[in-house]
Amino acid sequence: MKKSFFIFLFGIFSVLTSFAQETIVKGSVLDGTSGEPIPDVTITIEETGQTVKTDANGEFQFKGIVPLGEQVLKVEKTGYVTKRYPIVVNEGKTVDISGMTLDYDASDKTDLFIISISDDNLNSEDDGLTDNISGLLQASRDQFLNAAAFDFSATFFRPRGLDNANGKVLINGIEMNKQFSGRPQWGNWGGLNDVQRNQEFSMGMSANDYSFGDLAGTNNIIMRASKYREGGRVSYASANRSYTGRIMASYNSGLLQGGWSYSVLASRRYGDEGYVDGTLYDSNSFFAAVEKKINDQHSINFTGIYAQNRRGRSTAITDEVLDLKGRTYNPFWGLQDGEARNSRIREIEEPILMLNHFWDISSKTKLNTNIAYQFGKIGNTRIDNGGTRLVEFNGQTSYLGGARNPDPSYYQNLPSYHLRDPNPTAADFEQAYLAGQDFRNDGQLDWNALYSANATVRAQGGNSIYAIQEDRNDDSQFTINSILDTELSERVRLNAMVSYRKLKSENFANLKDLLGGTGYLDVDFFAEETPNIIGSLEDIAQSDRNNPNRIVLEGQRYKYNYEIDANVVTGFAQAQFKYNKIDFYLGANISQTNYQRNGLYDNGNFPGSRSFGKSEKLDFSNYGVKAGATYKVTGRHLVDFNASYFTKAPTIRNSFSNARQNNDVVIGLESEKIQSVDMSYIFRSPIIKARLTGFYSGFEDGTDIGFYFTEDLAGLGLDTGDAFVQEILTNVEKRHIGAELGIEAQVTPTIKLKAAASVGQYTFNNNPNLYLTSDDFEGPLTFGDGTTNIKDYHVAGGPERAYQIGFEYRDPDFWNIGLTTNYFSNAYIDVSNLARSANFTTDFDGQPIVGYDADIAKTLLKQEQFDDYVLVNVVGGKSWRVGDYFIGFFATINNIFDQEYKTGGFEQSRLPKYTRLLEDQTRDNGPVFGSRYFNGNGTTYYLNVYLRF
Amino acid sequence: MKTIKLNKILLLALSLVVFSACVQDDDFDTPNVDVVNPVINGNIIDIDAVIGNLVQSGEDIITFEDTNNYMEGYVISSDEGGNFFEELVMQDKAENPTAGIVVQIDVNPLFTIYDFGRKVYVKLDGLSVAVDNGVVQIGRREGNDLAKIAASKMSETILRTSEVATIVPLEVSINDFSNDLESLYIRLNDVQFNRDDVLGDDVKTFAAEDTDEFDGERLLESCASSSSVILSTSTFSDFKSLLLPANRGSIDGILTRDFFDEFYTVVINSPEDINFTNDVRCDPIELSCGLATTTGMNNLFEDDFEGQTINSLISGNGWTNFIEAGSEGWEAYTQGGTNSSQGISARVGSFNSGDASTVAWLITPQIDLDANSGVTLNFETSNSFSDGSTMEVLFSNDWDGTEAGITTATWGIVSDAYVTQDSDFFGEWFESGNVDLTCGSGQIYIAFKYVGSGQSDFDGTYELDFVSIDAQ
Repeated sequence: MKKSFFIFLFGIFSVLTSFAQETIVKGSVLDGTSGEPIPDVTITIEETGQTVKTDANGEFQFKGIVPLGEQVLKVEKTGYVTKRYPIVVNEGKTVDISGMTLDYDASDKTDLFIISISDDNLNSEDDGLTDNISGLLQASRDQFLNAAAFDFSATFFRPRGLDNANGKVLINGIEMNKQFSGRPQWGNWGGLNDVQRNQEFSMGMSANDYSFGDLAGTNNIIMRASKYREGGRVSYASANRSYTGRIMASYNSGLLQGGWSYSVLASRRYGDEGYVDGTLYDSNSFFAAVEKKINDQHSINFTGIYAQNRRGRSTAITDEVLDLKGRTYNPFWGLQDGEARNSRIREIEEPILMLNHFWDISSKTKLNTNIAYQFGKIGNTRIDNGGTRLVEFNGQTSYLGGARNPDPSYYQNLPSYHLRDPNPTAADFEQAYLAGQDFRNDGQLDWNALYSANATVRAQGGNSIYAIQEDRNDDSQFTINSILDTELSERVRLNAMVSYRKLKSENFANLKDLLGGTGYLDVDFFAEETPNIIGSLEDIAQSDRNNPNRIVLEGQRYKYNYEIDANVVTGFAQAQFKYNKIDFYLGANISQTNYQRNGLYDNGNFPGSRSFGKSEKLDFSNYGVKAGATYKVTGRHLVDFNASYFTKAPTIRNSFSNARQNNDVVIGLESEKIQSVDMSYIFRSPIIKARLTGFYSGFEDGTDIGFYFTEDLAGLGLDTGDAFVQEILTNVEKRHIGAELGIEAQVTPTIKLKAAASVGQYTFNNNPNLYLTSDDFEGPLTFGDGTTNIKDYHVAGGPERAYQIGFEYRDPDFWNIGLTTNYFSNAYIDVSNLARSANFTTDFDGQPIVGYDADIAKTLLKQEQFDDYVLVNVVGGKSWRVGDYFIGFFATINNIFDQEYKTGGFEQSRLPKYTRLLEDQTRDNGPVFGSRYFNGNGTTYYLNVYLRF
Repeated sequence: MKTIKLNKILLLALSLVVFSACVQDDDFDTPNVDVVNPVINGNIIDIDAVIGNLVQSGEDIITFEDTNNYMEGYVISSDEGGNFFEELVMQDKAENPTAGIVVQIDVNPLFTIYDFGRKVYVKLDGLSVAVDNGVVQIGRREGNDLAKIAASKMSETILRTSEVATIVPLEVSINDFSNDLESLYIRLNDVQFNRDDVLGDDVKTFAAEDTDEFDGERLLESCASSSSVILSTSTFSDFKSLLLPANRGSIDGILTRDFFDEFYTVVINSPEDINFTNDVRCDPIELSCGLATTTGMNNLFEDDFEGQTINSLISGNGWTNFIEAGSEGWEAYTQGGTNSSQGISARVGSFNSGDASTVAWLITPQIDLDANSGVTLNFETSNSFSDGSTMEVLFSNDWDGTEAGITTATWGIVSDAYVTQDSDFFGEWFESGNVDLTCGSGQIYIAFKYVGSGQSDFDGTYELDFVSIDAQ
């Protein structure tokens, strides 16, 4: 495949031999305030799209074919305000425009997205609802993508319906997406804003110099010491969204004598709570890079990133809880000794070390070789309420103890639970009132009760009933890649990349805190002998049959313990062609991926090789091809087209159906097949820039795994159908179709009007296969024909329609203000797949439900569409020059009208049966198991003050 | 110059990091969770007084208002094993208790707060007392019933003290059971589970049989007397799947009534409360040959009681009629109506006899199993609210035929003979089945033995007719 592709490329190359011209466009770019040259500025001839970058001296030169006549040069660099210079190019002449200036962009928007990204990303452990890709887009200059990154991101808006597993993040050319989820872990480089201003973003599947890319685009963050402008920066930010304070200091040396350069950064972000109560923020980030330019051909760079991050989490809540406690409510925290303590802490500590070698083999050929090593841990804590005591009786074993979920918003603590009967009594109403009052007045986690319980039990010789469990994911990943960039001719560039990634991932539960107890009995409290399971309780309850009935102490592993080995080899090649009327590219990718699980615990529910030892080795061969072209009708009118087809290995998360307990591989696991086309019309005049794009993406053979507790599964018998299940969805087909528009008009030199819109429809295109597994019943469980009827349901994930109008005013006196009004609609809830399977219509005995009414069922299963809403955001800033120093501030207020809105939500799959759902949905006093929602923030602010020198 | 700048900035950065606002770290100290003794500003009354209030009122339910009364007691139930749910059982004293009561609370679990032996005070104002499921309980009033105390009211209603007493179980025997012992922590000595539940291949669990709904009810038998009681275990308990022990010994638990208030049950907190150490069971000898398909033509003994004198003790026809204890014996009678006799029938019953104990025997003549083949036994029984009384069909190979020798002889059970149950319709007569005796040997006597429960107001009557022993 690859070989023939190369032959194809070289064939084209040899036919289209170029002919030389003597016309030259060259110049240099200086900092508008300091007068110092700026390296790495992108200079574009707008008509042809030809680009070059300035070198370390801020100089650039267009060689070869340059369009003649009146042209516009676009001069841009992240962190600076983009400028456009009109020039006249005469055949055979040299145009020298030295001394162009760029002004530092005081609006410093890059800080903003980091906040919203890390906010959203925090909740995204399992649901996948909250992963938006705005982090990818921040480097883009496209008006629509800017709107998406800065104004739409607060509400989970996903450009083209894509989440961040569909985008690639690279640092110095090395892919940073996690193999477990396919998603970039933003926390790994959070708090490094000052040193992440150099970013190269390629939209969608368009040509990228480093990687094949993915649908949502590819963002390469360049963190080379020599690429930073000399100088330092100290800043302080205050906000009320996630952190309340951030301090950051950085210094870049610029190129020193002897070819050395270095860059350092330290930052701290902190806060006792963000917009949502009890969401603490405690993060320290350090960065250092050193580069040595050995000679004109070789440079070696070392980059080290240590970004430690500890945060308190929040969760989706039902409307009942929202009504009682408001949108800042968070059930995860409670007071302990007067301090708020959050039971769900996410801690990320995964340092990255990389060594980069840059080799300019010739003026036209560059080879960049990188090795990177990342290691560390991600931990997520939660309260474990299943502590028991071993009781031996008559030669048999039983486990006494355990407690109910201490979550203050547990359904049995809420008024709806007390009023669940069709005709509640006066006493029921009294109970409901008392429960409601209690929840309203307190409604937080009672840490003292947990400690007191453990102390009480301990006094009688028992183990901890409650403990803090930390789910750990300790990865170490080694990556090596080589990236080739060569100009085969003035019109043809070739990019190629090979890479190898090796991941070892240890996954286990860590006993973080015994909450005053002396030990924890490592058995599954919920294990139960049921008619649907064979085996004695003592056997099935064991986490590890090799160490039965073990008492665990703090800092020890328990519950589950396994390793994942993953290896990926990738090759990528791409050719880019540039002509006067048309630019086009062709790219191809091949990869080989393998995964293997190695169980370190012999799980009682899945004894022997089913859980212990190595799993089957999964092997995936994948490939992709893409092509695209830009046709320049005139310098003002362009048509852009991209098409791709590729396959993606399933993520580790989606490969093993229940990795915590066993070696089972998802049945019917396939690589996902993705096809995508988009076509854009781009208009740009000196005043107006606009882009209109139509897009289509099709996904086939997707896989998704969910975990939940559910009741009364069909066919499992009366009163024995409750189970904690893994829901595995395979053969998922999705279709994303829509259009997006971005337009901006520089109506005066200081005023810019802008508008953006996205209208899409993201739906399931078939009825995927669904099966359940569990330790509460044997074997995979399917219903009816084994599918779930979700065809034409919307894929959940933010509003499908978003519109923006706004303006920016940029005063020559170095201040600016902007306002946007954003309208969102057509956001849908994440539906319960199980409720759309035959389980919904099937009774405990496997027979159809008596009294099933198809019309009522239809209303029960209708996908909820959230209300439309409008968010108004304001941004503004000012900067001053004081001697050699620049002082400035930048502020935003989001959602200034304090609009209440739902950003997302999901149906609970607890009652996925016609009779039970009907009963719950028609209760007079509200459902007991209503859908849970993420509620958007009210009015929030962000203020950043900086000093630059 | 540059170095100076850099130093400055790094120093600044460092100081900023150091002095920046601290976020509470994860190392929380274990808070002080010692129980502080409550100060009771009110009248402390005992459980007996609370029950007395209910009894004296003559009402079904009473409510405490403005009394400022606090009830004192010790917790004797534990929901650690899931065998109690949203209720606390309390008794008045740690040792030699005299009164117990149940408190209903809408909280689970409770053992982590009100642990076994914990002394507590219950603030009574606003609460109501009534007999619920046969025992005295405290809760909130809902109409004329009790409902659980709301979770939000728990901590202000049930006050913990720091005292955790050692509860000494009250040693009683099954025959002693009465209202006064309800909701007390008792010990039954020398008991065992019924042989049908623990012997053979199909040993029963505490409460995990297909037929168990809500509770598993298992028969506990006394080895010292012929009395028995139901051990009741929740199907939600953590130990429901454990197999019952086959040996015998003592058991500690709470005496209560079944859900429908029909009989006494004992409920344990944990299987550890069963202390069976004696491996020798006290099962009766059994004669169990199953049922025969045919009845021989050679009648060896027969009585339809038509020849007996009504309202007189059964006599003649080879019968031995012996009153071992009490004043009641097998007598002849006739009766019409729903509960009619079959002509003249035999009956025995101690209801309202006032006897402290009633044991009555009716024994057939000797039957020679060696000389006869295919020997079968048939009879019919009926009952009238037999309640606490029992009737058994026994056999003996070694009885000497004298009344004095009855109690010293070895009697075993003819276990395949059906004897009417308390749950059977009182108006109907039930056939014993064609009971096969051929697996026995030698000379045997068949006896119909009636035993009263010791509470004659809770005893009933068994009726017997058409006794027939036949051979081929």
